[in-house]
Amino acid sequence: MSRNQGGRRLFNRVVLYLALLLGAIIMAGPFLYMVSTAFKGQVYVFEFPPQFIPARPTLENFVKAWTSNNFALYFWNSLRVAVVVMAVVVVLTSMMAYAFARFNFRGKDTLFYLMLAMMMMPAMMLIIPQFVLARNLNLINKLGGLVVVYAASGMAFNTFLLRGFFEGLPRELEEAVLLDGGGYFTIFTRVILPLSTPALATVAIFSFLGSWDEYIWALTVINEAKKRTLPIAIANFQGQHASDWGLVFAASLIAVIPVLVIYVLLQRYFVQGLTSGALKA
Amino acid sequence: MKLGKFMALVVIVSLVLTIVSACVAPTPQVVEKVVTQVVEKEKQVQVVVTPTAAPKAPVTLTFWHAYNEVSPENETLTKVLIPAFEAANPGIKVESLAVPYDQFRQKLLTSMAGGVAPDLIRSDIIWVPELADIGALAMLDEVMPDFEQYKAAVFPGPLSTNFYNGHYYGLPLDTNTRVWFWNKEMYETAGIAEPPQTMDDVAAQCAKVKALGEDKYVFADGGTYGWAVLPWIWSFGGSITDPEITKATGYLNGPDSVAAYEFLLKMFKDGCLSPSILGGGVSAGDGYATDLYANYLDGPWMYPIFASQFPDKQLHAILMPAGKGGHISVVGGEDIVMMQQSQHKEEALKFLAFTQSEEYQLKMAETGQMPVLNKLIDSDYMKSHPYYGTFLEQLNTAKARTPHPAWTKMEEYLTNAGQAILREEMPVQEALDKATAEIDALLAK
Repeated sequence: MSRNQGGRRLFNRVVLYLALLLGAIIMAGPFLYMVSTAFKGQVYVFEFPPQFIPARPTLENFVKAWTSNNFALYFWNSLRVAVVVMAVVVVLTSMMAYAFARFNFRGKDTLFYLMLAMMMMPAMMLIIPQFVLARNLNLINKLGGLVVVYAASGMAFNTFLLRGFFEGLPRELEEAVLLDGGGYFTIFTRVILPLSTPALATVAIFSFLGSWDEYIWALTVINEAKKRTLPIAIANFQGQHASDWGLVFAASLIAVIPVLVIYVLLQRYFVQGLTSGALKA
Repeated sequence: MKLGKFMALVVIVSLVLTIVSACVAPTPQVVEKVVTQVVEKEKQVQVVVTPTAAPKAPVTLTFWHAYNEVSPENETLTKVLIPAFEAANPGIKVESLAVPYDQFRQKLLTSMAGGVAPDLIRSDIIWVPELADIGALAMLDEVMPDFEQYKAAVFPGPLSTNFYNGHYYGLPLDTNTRVWFWNKEMYETAGIAEPPQTMDDVAAQCAKVKALGEDKYVFADGGTYGWAVLPWIWSFGGSITDPEITKATGYLNGPDSVAAYEFLLKMFKDGCLSPSILGGGVSAGDGYATDLYANYLDGPWMYPIFASQFPDKQLHAILMPAGKGGHISVVGGEDIVMMQQSQHKEEALKFLAFTQSEEYQLKMAETGQMPVLNKLIDSDYMKSHPYYGTFLEQLNTAKARTPHPAWTKMEEYLTNAGQAILREEMPVQEALDKATAEIDALLAK
């Protein structure tokens, strides 16, 4: 009986690892192929059978991507926008979420659901009205304009995420601060925020990624080459008639670096933040 | 709780402000008008006081195109031609913007809705009727004083793509067509003696090419859209609509168009037409360069691309193989059009005229953009050119895609029909009947 159980456990474990391995290959395969292609000359991109480890690796694509057409400037533009959006979203959504989580006021639920409803609208449906609004607010063709729109579009989801997290924090801690003569600002900055690092890290990652990767809006509103962000620059390496894929992938690989850095720095909070928010919502 | 109420108030006020800002009806055009009037009055006063005209404020023109950012075309445009224009026209600056082709229409239409369209665009010839139909383009034959002179200087075929509803909305910028590229190295390996002259010759290559390997194909293309399938339909003698563009019945679903699709389907089922025609896979040009595809159709821009990306591979061009309808290919190219919303029409027309100059046309010709000026056809440049000859010959019989504002929608039906046929979701006749009915409904509007 126990031998049977042991055998079954081993079998389950093997199946589990095989499934995990398969999942890992499916997830990492395209990324690894991108890395591989970035190191190949154009002539070798479509070799058959495809080679994962290039026979004649070259750094030419990286040099060409980085030095051509202000790529470094576009990288810097994207980084500035994404960092500012991240800061704005973390500050504003944490305050909004705290208000929604802890205070009672008339119309609270209506406002909250109204905000959630905004998440349900497909982005392409809104692009023309959003463009007209942005033009009227003089936000077209400006990196600052991108910050406003990206930050606004990140508000609903991140407030929703943080509200769930804040509601799960014990009220007793806040009452203790009140008894000691502290106010709500003290509670917010000294109790709520330090206890919510995992959730705030999650919001930071989401908002950074959201603006770092965004393409359609930036393409639509930016009309000057020097104000472009990275996704547009990468798309512009693809031509109407032919694309230099090594160059596209080398550029994409450069673009992935800040995402990896942010993710590695905040990783230990990330999973915890996601599940905490979800369970306590 | 006071702070609580305060924070709640902040939330409410922020949300209300957001909603209100979205609803406020702004009046930017009114402001622009007021500014224009003020400037005009200042000018009048100055004319009275002194006969010297006031120096005009520098004007910045915006010009959108879909050249690849790192392409020779873009290099020539931004580093040679625009600086030359600016030097000859002090006070006018041209800002060119490369917009990816696939998102070009979306960006343009959104910008137009917002009232901030560019001054000039290099428009795909198939967009001109649609843009003219919605009133987005200025009528060049009305606003350009010497339009007749420019009109007479260009090839009539490319010029006709600017004509819609009795007016010309642009001038041709470059022209092109697709010719048949045959892969000499693969032919030699497969033992194929001659490039194909007829559709039967194409079909006869199947067994020889498949003998080279399962991953080798006689022909490849990137989809079932008009640019890809029209040379087949026309060369088989078929068409999309009647010449007056009033109906598709009897044309798209007629026996000749059906024969074209039957031919492609048989090639596909025999493994001789690359699956890339259903999307994805190795693109036709890349597959030709790496000896996966024995033939494909493409334009003159591939020569500079091959020179930089596949310097060891040669392109060999002939006319589209003939069927019942002859050696017929599809006319491509771009027009330059001025947007109705342009605030600087006078200056924009100067740049537009510059694009019609010999200097501009010859410089762009070096990057694979075929010129449109009549006088260049007999020039030494064209006569001694290594590859434009085949394209000029193909252009003699090439046809333009249906010049109709609803072409984009018609092409969608055509693409879907091609996909359904090759995926064997529908028999050829049934799929074309369906597309024909859909196109007829469009034309009836």
